[in-house]
Amino acid sequence: MDFKLTDAQKAHRDEVFKVCAELDKKKPKTWVGFESQFDDEVGWAFHKLCAKEFAKRGWLALGWPKEYGGIGDMMDKVLFQEARGYYDLPGADIFGVAMLAPTLLAAGSEELKRELLPKIANAEWMFCELWSEPNAGSDLAGLTATAIRKGDEFIVNGQKTWSTGAHFADWAFGVYKSDPNAKKHHNMTFILSDMKSPGITVKSIPYMSGSHVYNEVYLDDVRMSAKYIVGQENEGWAVVNVLAGFERSNLDMVYGLVRGIEELVEFCNETKRNGRPLSQDPIVRNRIADVSSSLEAVRCLAYRVADQQNRNEMGLMDAAAVKIFASELMEKYGHLAADILGPYGQVKNSPWAKMGGTVEYTYQGCFVPIVSMGTNEIQRNIIAWYGLGLPRMK
Amino acid sequence: MDLRFTEQQEILKKSARDFLTKECPKAKVRELEHDAKGYDPVLWQKMADLGWLGFNIPEEYEGMGYSFEDLAVHVEEVGRNILPGPYLSTVVNTFAIVEAGTDEIKKELLSKISYGKCILTLAWLEENGQFDAAGITLKAAHKGNDFVLNGTKMFVDGAHVADYMIVVARTKESANHEDGVTLFVVDAKASGVKSTVIPTIAHDHLCEVVFKDVTAPAKNVLGKVDKGWETLQMIIRKGSILKAAESLGGLQSVVEMTVAYSKERVQYDRPIGAFQALQHKMADMWIAMGTSKYLLYEAAWMESNGIPNAKEASMTKAYINEAYKLVAALGVKLHGGIGTSYDHDAPLFFRRAKAADTVFGSTDYHRELVAQHIGLK
Repeated sequence: MDFKLTDAQKAHRDEVFKVCAELDKKKPKTWVGFESQFDDEVGWAFHKLCAKEFAKRGWLALGWPKEYGGIGDMMDKVLFQEARGYYDLPGADIFGVAMLAPTLLAAGSEELKRELLPKIANAEWMFCELWSEPNAGSDLAGLTATAIRKGDEFIVNGQKTWSTGAHFADWAFGVYKSDPNAKKHHNMTFILSDMKSPGITVKSIPYMSGSHVYNEVYLDDVRMSAKYIVGQENEGWAVVNVLAGFERSNLDMVYGLVRGIEELVEFCNETKRNGRPLSQDPIVRNRIADVSSSLEAVRCLAYRVADQQNRNEMGLMDAAAVKIFASELMEKYGHLAADILGPYGQVKNSPWAKMGGTVEYTYQGCFVPIVSMGTNEIQRNIIAWYGLGLPRMK
Repeated sequence: MDLRFTEQQEILKKSARDFLTKECPKAKVRELEHDAKGYDPVLWQKMADLGWLGFNIPEEYEGMGYSFEDLAVHVEEVGRNILPGPYLSTVVNTFAIVEAGTDEIKKELLSKISYGKCILTLAWLEENGQFDAAGITLKAAHKGNDFVLNGTKMFVDGAHVADYMIVVARTKESANHEDGVTLFVVDAKASGVKSTVIPTIAHDHLCEVVFKDVTAPAKNVLGKVDKGWETLQMIIRKGSILKAAESLGGLQSVVEMTVAYSKERVQYDRPIGAFQALQHKMADMWIAMGTSKYLLYEAAWMESNGIPNAKEASMTKAYINEAYKLVAALGVKLHGGIGTSYDHDAPLFFRRAKAADTVFGSTDYHRELVAQHIGLK
């Protein structure tokens, strides 16, 4: 067993942390957390600024094969994730860079790879997903939006929901029922489309905090070119599984918490309550140490996932475990920090806020990772069915 | 980075598993709980023949000289089965002899330990139940070149069968409680030493040890007089990682046992493992296992490579203490009624999980150390 980084990896790590630290200083004042990139024009502009800086260095193509412009390996990608996570930076499009690019590499045609990968690597196109529907969430196979083939095009109708950042995205990937007569799992097609296409209406669904993250997307006779099918026509379910099962080490989330703990420690050292620094309160010490120990545990497991990825081994169960554990640890951290801040735990980013309003943000923002990318209940099913071999629900 | 076991580690794991499955079935574990000695001397000798007692003893003292990481992997496998007796105490305290013992003591004890002829244990805690330096009150008074020990130690693993104890004693009163602590190697059978087994949840033969005018010669001091706290920290750090490894092994057994049972046990015309109410609890058990594993391996890897790891060792002990207790309790619950009976294995692990959590420091003690390491002033 060896947890050591090579000298080259250490040098890369130093560089990504340095660049991210510089970008951190340019964060808009309104920034409270990762979803701030979608909340307004200022946040989106910062996302694009970061994306350009990363693209310039080739970091949006880390771990890709060389022939598509890739540099470095999966471990370099992981170190980049750590730095972005630590500084809570956007700039690596969660749909384009993190999901679509690896899906194209695994299941896309040569033509699509040649056309789209450079656009993702150069941060020219930002993506969103047209995925869940009002009546098809965890049970995605029950979706009803239709894509009817007409020559070289599909005519798409229906309603998609929980589409993060659809109000800013250039392009979308989506999945639609393309053959109403075919059997389940062989009746849908995975298609990419331009968000400026006529017939697309985007409507905000305000998050509980009031911020603009999610959208309803209405599709009304939208024409999508058959050229942008990923995988085979009517076999989109297989692509869905490639994409959904795409290994994510979630190290960005983990490293966001690493910095959160550091800031909380600093706050406790500097803040007096009942005549002594909060840091001297044994309950505060115990609770922070508890979260901190759990954080180190999940950090190590996330490395295990990355190590498996680096050898092209599937680590679906470990990845699910990290997703569940890290997101629920974020919730636990949010509660802990809010408790410690006392009445200030509820204050939004403002002159009255402590810790820049990040605590109020995290307290309710934690539900984004908990329910998205397959809810934690679905992730537990994955562990039970595929990891433990328990009988699948009928 | 490569987080896989080495080939040698895979061999160590398999041989430990095969050996204990054959030589120490659960019926024997339960039998030894009520045995006066609490361990099986015949089994102990077989373990010594396999080199288990000399893993961490340098080759020049007839040991195997394996790495700490290899030892941790081996101990994890031992914990998977449960091995009654002062095996871990002997192994952990061997480090103190190797790293802080005089040449004379090393020559006297190390090869004996390696050959299975010497059991070691640690006499640390006292009636105050404290883990910190202020808790050390047992007096060792200077008498010429020797020391005379008077006082009581508690929760000493297998003291009644041990050959030597490492006694943590106070040789000087000082405002800084860490100053004035001295470690002695004391003959456990010396006159004036009285060990009595305390009834405990795991029937694991922890003892009260009363020292009455017990003489310890100067050559038996480990490290420097008054400066033993540092050596004790080394014992606690290594011991914490190894105890956590043992716990992780037990934890894995509980997960496997519970999942297997849920596939066999049929209620409402289906295996109970088909119910999501149970599936999600088992998923949580699995997550506790996964997160525990790599935290432990990181701490062990650091220890093996001489990388400062006091923080990681404390995180590991605090985290795995709680993970093991959580998993062991779920193991009992998911077995239903049968899981509460003495003859079932689920409660065997449940009781061990409780016993494990205070060995080499409780969760709260280690969290306090973590708090210091992460910069809480």
